[in-house]
Amino acid sequence: MRGYLAFMRGAMLVGVVYRLGFLFTILGNIVYMIIAYFLWRSIYAGKETLNGLTFDQALLYIALGSTIFILLKTYTDWGMAEEIRSGTISVYLTKPIDYQLYNLFGTIGFASTTILTVTLPTVIMLLFVFRIHFALGWGYLFFPVSLILAFIINFNLDYAVGLSAFYTESIWGISTTKEIIVSVLSGALLPLQFFPAAVQQVLMVLPFQAMFFTPLMMVTKPDQQAGVFLQMLVVQALWAAVTYAASRLFYNQAIKVLRVAGG
Amino acid sequence: MLTLGEYIRLYFLIETQYIKGQMQYRADFLISSIGMFFSSLATLSIFVVLFNSIPSLAGWSLMEMVFIYAFYMIAISPMQILFDAVWFLRMKVQSGEFVKYYFRPMNIMFYFMSERFDIKGLTQLAAGIVLLVYASIQLDLVWSVGKILILFLAVFSASLVLISIAVMAGSSAFWVVNSYPVLALAWKVREFAPYPITIFDGVFRFAFTFILPIGFIAFYPAQFFLRPAEISPLFYVTPFIGLGLFALTYKIWELGVNSWTGTGS
Amino acid sequence: MTLIHIKDLTKHFRILNRHEGLKGAVRDLFSGDYRTVKAVDGISFDIEPGEIVGYIGPNGAGKSTTIKMMTGILKPSAGVLQVNGLVPYDNRMRQAMIMGVVFGQRTQLWWDLPVIESFKILKEIYKVDQKMFDEHLGMFNELVGLKALYTQQARTLSLGQRMLCDIAASFLHNPQVVFLDEPTIGLDVSVKAKIRGLILELNGTRNTTIILTTHDLGDVEALCRRIIIIDKGKILYDGDIKKVNALFGAYRTLKLQIKDYAEATRTALQNGLAGKFGAEHGITIAQTEDCWTDVTIDQARTPLADVLAFVMTNFPVEDVRIVEISMENVVRKVYDGALQ
Repeated sequence: MRGYLAFMRGAMLVGVVYRLGFLFTILGNIVYMIIAYFLWRSIYAGKETLNGLTFDQALLYIALGSTIFILLKTYTDWGMAEEIRSGTISVYLTKPIDYQLYNLFGTIGFASTTILTVTLPTVIMLLFVFRIHFALGWGYLFFPVSLILAFIINFNLDYAVGLSAFYTESIWGISTTKEIIVSVLSGALLPLQFFPAAVQQVLMVLPFQAMFFTPLMMVTKPDQQAGVFLQMLVVQALWAAVTYAASRLFYNQAIKVLRVAGG
Repeated sequence: MLTLGEYIRLYFLIETQYIKGQMQYRADFLISSIGMFFSSLATLSIFVVLFNSIPSLAGWSLMEMVFIYAFYMIAISPMQILFDAVWFLRMKVQSGEFVKYYFRPMNIMFYFMSERFDIKGLTQLAAGIVLLVYASIQLDLVWSVGKILILFLAVFSASLVLISIAVMAGSSAFWVVNSYPVLALAWKVREFAPYPITIFDGVFRFAFTFILPIGFIAFYPAQFFLRPAEISPLFYVTPFIGLGLFALTYKIWELGVNSWTGTGS
Repeated sequence: MTLIHIKDLTKHFRILNRHEGLKGAVRDLFSGDYRTVKAVDGISFDIEPGEIVGYIGPNGAGKSTTIKMMTGILKPSAGVLQVNGLVPYDNRMRQAMIMGVVFGQRTQLWWDLPVIESFKILKEIYKVDQKMFDEHLGMFNELVGLKALYTQQARTLSLGQRMLCDIAASFLHNPQVVFLDEPTIGLDVSVKAKIRGLILELNGTRNTTIILTTHDLGDVEALCRRIIIIDKGKILYDGDIKKVNALFGAYRTLKLQIKDYAEATRTALQNGLAGKFGAEHGITIAQTEDCWTDVTIDQARTPLADVLAFVMTNFPVEDVRIVEISMENVVRKVYDGALQ
């Protein structure tokens, strides 16, 4: 266990050294939010609500969406692809550590630094500069758990993308396709309520909505019954388990390729 | 020292060989093209879904938005295809490998950028052209030879804007260790080029026109073809913005090249 | 005319003082604490056309800094530096036309292209006329059989093959001076011989000046007539290799792993050697970081075999290695006035 914590601390240290990196991530997010604000203001021009959301709610959703997107963003897929390409992965495979766990703790370390240096300042900015209104309700209680579950699902997906590096060099194509599919279908870019009803139904049974739509709705409409939120968490947990199992299976398949090719 | 003609011939020589070499990796080409295809159309699909709920955006119809988006896809292609090497600048500067570019009697930016030719970007260019033609038909736009020439000029100038922003951001690698976020930020900013500038308030409209001129990547040039009656004088400024920005970018690049000390021995 | 003229050349660097650990890293975010490092501190030498000069010194001595200034990448802080009458830093492209550069580790060929295509591109860049191009390709093939590699992509070549191609590429445009940095590093003996042969031949036929930076003394012995030793930014020695050659040839370092090594062991070793070989044995003992005891022997005074026999008989030696004198030891000896 101590070993894994060391990986986490190492990742945090790396994060601190890159001083300008965080400043620019915050700036990038600000740019996104300014444009999103004006865009959505135009969308709502004169209307009270659209698809069940008020302008304030939609704005909160979008702003928080990008903030969480940054927080959940792991570089696991790229890190793994590089380790596989360069062969350094054999260092980790020959040690008594679980490769997925090792990656997970590295990601947690990185995310911890991100919370402090990016997420917190951004949320403060949302509250006091952009004057986004946060309504109150049960949702906030469930939100942290939801976020962690979303993080795990996202990690499992990224880990799977990273594993594809065993088969091909074109991680860029796979990673980009995955990111696009996730950002569109998870509701990260656009609240799912805006999609046509039939499409919405399909999206709700896919794992992607559990990554962004679920936690975002907990904060956007926090004043629902606790039971509703509990149900959402259960669905998330299910997806976390499914994606974990799938990634484990994939790993077992992928590792065979290494044995055959590398020797 | 090489003349412009010689540089062009050299570029042709290098890239034909490079593409030949890349064609070996068929699987990678296919997967990357698919990724490129998805990434181009993601924003477009968001638009289409949005327009389910609203009739127009700041007075612009869906088909007009599609035209602007198509123009945008074409305008960002030169950057994507020809200057792709900029993404590797940080790595080469940090490892010290960048030193080798100083040793040949040719322009360092040319040498560096000519090492990569992003073939998958051609997918985006093709998709953009198809979309532009489609939108033109849907909008009943009339094209004359003159208009097509202006289209080329407009695309050329618009592409210089993005090239400048990206290369300028990438050049930060000469001074800063983690320059990746700078480049990533600049690259992210381009995502908002296909939106009508009219949705922004005064201060921001000014900023996105004169400070970070993303308006010139697609919106202002596209207006000429979509709404010639409402053409803003800014359209005519586009070539100057493009060339001026690139001149500035080149100066910054030169500054970086001259000040880098080649650490990593 | 002197090809390279250097007088009182100096280069300073400003380096941020970094601190350890998580807290230190955070502190560095706001730090303005720099120190000045004198990488090159007032060096002077002249190099004539056709010379093969070895430029050697320990790591961090200022070698690469000097080379970077000579090749026009780095601007000197002070002093005079002229190559072919021009200041390199202010005339990068003109300098590049008359110069060739080879790194041991990194290739300058186009990675995905067949070697011959890289050559063709270079032909265009340097405006090499067809006659010279064909002549040179013929020469390369004659000397090291390079033709066999022409259609292969650079990235498929072995290190040795790539090195040969890189060196050939650097001579393609008939430069006046070629800078070779670690040209034989990581290569086996037969390839090293090939490379050294190629370099000598090219220097002989084209009278190309060659500046060689290397840690491989074999390279130096085979190629250089003159060497310049630099350490801590200053020139320690600049002259005929024969003098230093005598120094290299005679010295061998006996690396020993002695069981239960302690300070007492060292004393016993010193006393034992003095007792056996007399006070003027010229043997130095040093303990390296990785627990090897380095016994450096001047064979002109004490035969290696005798020392080895003595040590093996009287000490519990677990492992033995015999190596040529290291660069660090050469420099140390020069420092101690061994050349006076």
